Amino acid sequence: MDQIIGQRVPKLDASAKATGKATYGHDIRLPGMLHGRILYSRYAHAKILNIDTSRAKNLRGVKCVLTSADNPSHLFGYGKDNKPFKDIARSLRDEIAGVVAIDPDIAEEALELITVEYEPLPAIFSPKEALAEGAPLIHPERKSQSNMFHSYRYTHGDLGQGERESDVVVEASYTVPYVTHACMETSVVVAQFDLRDHLTLWSTTQIPFLLQRDLSEALGISGSQIRIIQTAVGGAFGRGLDIYPYEPIAALMARKAGQPVRLAFSRHEEFTAGPARQPVEVTIRAGAKSDGTLTFRDVSSVLDVGAYISWGSVTPLVMMETTASLYQVPHVRFQADCVYTNNLITGAMRGYGNPQSTFFVETIMDRLAEALKMDPVEFRVRNANVPNSETPQGLIITSCGMKECLETVAANADQGAKHTSSAPVSDPTRNMANSRPLIEEDPPHLKRGIGFAATLNVGGGARIYRSDGCGATVKVDDFGHVTLITGSTEIGQGSETVLAQIVAQTLGVKMEDITVLNSDTDIKPWDVGVHASRTTFIAGNAAQLAALDARNQIFETAAELLKAKPEELQSYDGSVTVKNDPARSLTIAQAARSRHFKEGGKVILGEGWYDPPTKLVDKDTYKGNISAAYGFGAQMAEVEVDTETGKVRVLRLVCANDVGFAINPMAVEGQIEGGAQMGLGYALTEELIVKDGKILNPDLLDYRLFTSADMPEIKSIIVETDDPTGPFGAKGVGEMGGTPTAAAIANAIYDAIGIRMTQLPMTPERVLAAIMQKETTE
Amino acid sequence: MRPFNHFTPTTLSEALSLLAEHNGKTSVIAGGTDLLLKMKAGLRKSNVVVNIKRLPNLNCLTFNAIDGLKLGALTTLRELTRSPIIFEHYPVLAQTAHIMASEQIRSLATVGGNLCNAAPSADLAPPLIALGASVNLISSAGERRIPLENFFVGPGKSALQPGELLKEITLPPPVGKTAYLKHSPRVYMDIAIVGVAVRIQFEGDRFACREARVVLGAVAPVPLRAHQSEDVLAGQNLTEERILQAAKAAGQECSPIDDVRGAAWYRRRMVEVLLKRGIKSIQ
Repeated sequence: MDQIIGQRVPKLDASAKATGKATYGHDIRLPGMLHGRILYSRYAHAKILNIDTSRAKNLRGVKCVLTSADNPSHLFGYGKDNKPFKDIARSLRDEIAGVVAIDPDIAEEALELITVEYEPLPAIFSPKEALAEGAPLIHPERKSQSNMFHSYRYTHGDLGQGERESDVVVEASYTVPYVTHACMETSVVVAQFDLRDHLTLWSTTQIPFLLQRDLSEALGISGSQIRIIQTAVGGAFGRGLDIYPYEPIAALMARKAGQPVRLAFSRHEEFTAGPARQPVEVTIRAGAKSDGTLTFRDVSSVLDVGAYISWGSVTPLVMMETTASLYQVPHVRFQADCVYTNNLITGAMRGYGNPQSTFFVETIMDRLAEALKMDPVEFRVRNANVPNSETPQGLIITSCGMKECLETVAANADQGAKHTSSAPVSDPTRNMANSRPLIEEDPPHLKRGIGFAATLNVGGGARIYRSDGCGATVKVDDFGHVTLITGSTEIGQGSETVLAQIVAQTLGVKMEDITVLNSDTDIKPWDVGVHASRTTFIAGNAAQLAALDARNQIFETAAELLKAKPEELQSYDGSVTVKNDPARSLTIAQAARSRHFKEGGKVILGEGWYDPPTKLVDKDTYKGNISAAYGFGAQMAEVEVDTETGKVRVLRLVCANDVGFAINPMAVEGQIEGGAQMGLGYALTEELIVKDGKILNPDLLDYRLFTSADMPEIKSIIVETDDPTGPFGAKGVGEMGGTPTAAAIANAIYDAIGIRMTQLPMTPERVLAAIMQKETTE
Repeated sequence: MRPFNHFTPTTLSEALSLLAEHNGKTSVIAGGTDLLLKMKAGLRKSNVVVNIKRLPNLNCLTFNAIDGLKLGALTTLRELTRSPIIFEHYPVLAQTAHIMASEQIRSLATVGGNLCNAAPSADLAPPLIALGASVNLISSAGERRIPLENFFVGPGKSALQPGELLKEITLPPPVGKTAYLKHSPRVYMDIAIVGVAVRIQFEGDRFACREARVVLGAVAPVPLRAHQSEDVLAGQNLTEERILQAAKAAGQECSPIDDVRGAAWYRRRMVEVLLKRGIKSIQ
């Protein structure tokens, strides 16, 4: 019998996407569809005194204009502090008015004809100002009468004891910037009401069922009136984890216009009106005994969550997990203050707090190793998380390959050519005939170094809501064709392929006999959403349960027809055979047909629901086992620093990840490499430069993503630990790829030039400034 | 994007009369890789767009040892990276074009467009000025030729008068060795934070400099001839000390600004580093 799991199966949607045949949100066209555009605030904080829309309304081709007068009387969003159109603007991305027209250019032109009279209010652009006495309130309607949205306080052990037991203590402060998802496809939504006043929304959301609920709140209609259809998505990375004002706005536009409305962001809008990963200012202290045992970690941080609350304000939950549970630390304190400002809204983004916290935790680990004069890998292995343990935070770690990951990347580091002058790395400009290579580097100024970092990530779901569940059904038709209907969402990560592999393996059918339906809330069973690297684990378990249920039904019928007991049967390649007598066999199609064409027949319809055995964290202590499994990883970065320009080139990135079991190794490598691309950008080039609430580089030229030409060689090594709870032993891997990258690179820079970089991204200018500072002080 | 009138003349005289007719209100489109982005973003509003891609003889690329190179304004960046003539006589232009944008954009973007945008960071400007390029500008009133270094007036502003079209770029036969070094965070798909071109006419061996041209990009309102730096090098032995002195001079005579792409101090510093490396690379 051919194995389907564990195979490098190409993604089911790969050829449709590669050939441009996939239908993305931007491709949706409905009869009579109109186009919406949004007018944003001119001021970061202002009262809207008057809006004159008459000239816009009179523009030929304009269908209607909307303002806050069209708002339903409901607040929405995680902090219940948001509404579609504003009468007080609290950031430059605040929606003031909207235009619906027969084409987007006319709508755009109409925006310029809207006259808004503002009364500017004092604005706040840093948490420090926001918390100062007498600071103007960004949400004066809030009971707390403070700009502090939430203050997280976590402890385990006894910090004083940890300090006393320490032979070395190190401390540092770090700053990490705003970055954004920069999805290839910008945000887009198409809204249509039918005659029953039911709304259909074509959306790039990651949370179709929660969006139903959120939209019902925002619009004041029942969730049962809302159908979400998910299109193929050109990138999500956490962007689609919340409701944003443009979604209810599109619905309000469609209702007012009486026609379907498409609202598609421009690239500029994607930067300025989309969510960002929250910047953090942090101070961290940590200690260890002279034998290399960690004693304590103490983290104090401030997060700017912007003008409205989205999931950005909850990322401290993950930062505290890294602080408390990455490595074994007996005494830990973590504090995070989440503060309202008139800046960008901050949301969920791949890693969800972990890229920030792993940067500061793993660079402080390096400082400790240095203070102890220990090898950085040996030091890490000594303190690594271990299988079958419980962390003081209450994480129950079952399978754990952290030590193996660290040792694997270290073994690969030795093959590198750190201190020898190896052949120059491939430089694309060298390929040119008849011309000298155009590298600006000059060998004497190049210093090489290597650095390590590890990561811990939830790998068995994450109970952020009361349910962490997912439903699935498996249907078998007359021809033996299998349809998996899963609640989960495909966002390019390859989940439908992995789920199809799980069902094919469980049911004993070929991959080509499976279709996956996962994009329509009217069809698919409930799921909490695609986040927290949960889909393979949670939706995989649900799909497996549904497939087992369907297989039982097939075996029940096959047993009658083959005159055998169900437990004597096995299935593969679409056939059911008696184990000890393979000649007695029939196809799954025959079994299905015999059920359909008989009196009192039945369909083959398996169902599965999986909600992992985990808990919400305690609301006061933040302790508890949030995930049914934990994934681990380690990275080794080899860098070359140009000490005259400050430019850092990553020559090699070796990644080892404990994924439990790789159901599709190719898809795992894709996740790791894609994650690394984001991690490299976070480390070296990506930053939303924000001044007075305004993004100064809202385009793909000055917001620098790593392109394919910038990518280093990536070696991705899969470590398997066979998780006891995961489907076929698998754990989640979606977010780990980019989490430790910035720390590994920072540690490599230190190895190369003896400088600890404390601010991301580590741009040439910042690195050179640090080099010059070091030269001055020496 | 706003609606606009689009004309596609097929003769030069037709194009020039269109430009004259819509005096000053036209945008000329060739590759469109820059213009269309600006128009879509509303940064440039044009009621009339004149497409010059069908004009004959504007994509010539010819060379002879007496007159040098004639480069039609419509020559694409990709052609610069592929032309045997360029490789043989002006390899620095191939190298420069190769690190501009991406293969797809290079297939559309033109040499004329890169210059007419008059961006202080335009990559082709420093090496072309270093090579002694001139530009031929034509209008219905006639044709004139000016040195390329006088073509740039300010950020986004060139010496082109309303109704005037950049027809071709001419270069004298190559003298000495030329290099262009660009500092940008990414290898491709990036704009120069600093660009430095240097051409040196050597005296005898490669340690003595008869004459030098140093041209700086992205550190002044226009691509800048660094005359003081040139004077430091002219007629001197290219010792380590001399090279550093020229690099310092170039760093001092430019006038960079602080912006999202880089701080002024950093840009000055990169001028020094790149000039030093540029000189060494052709020695």
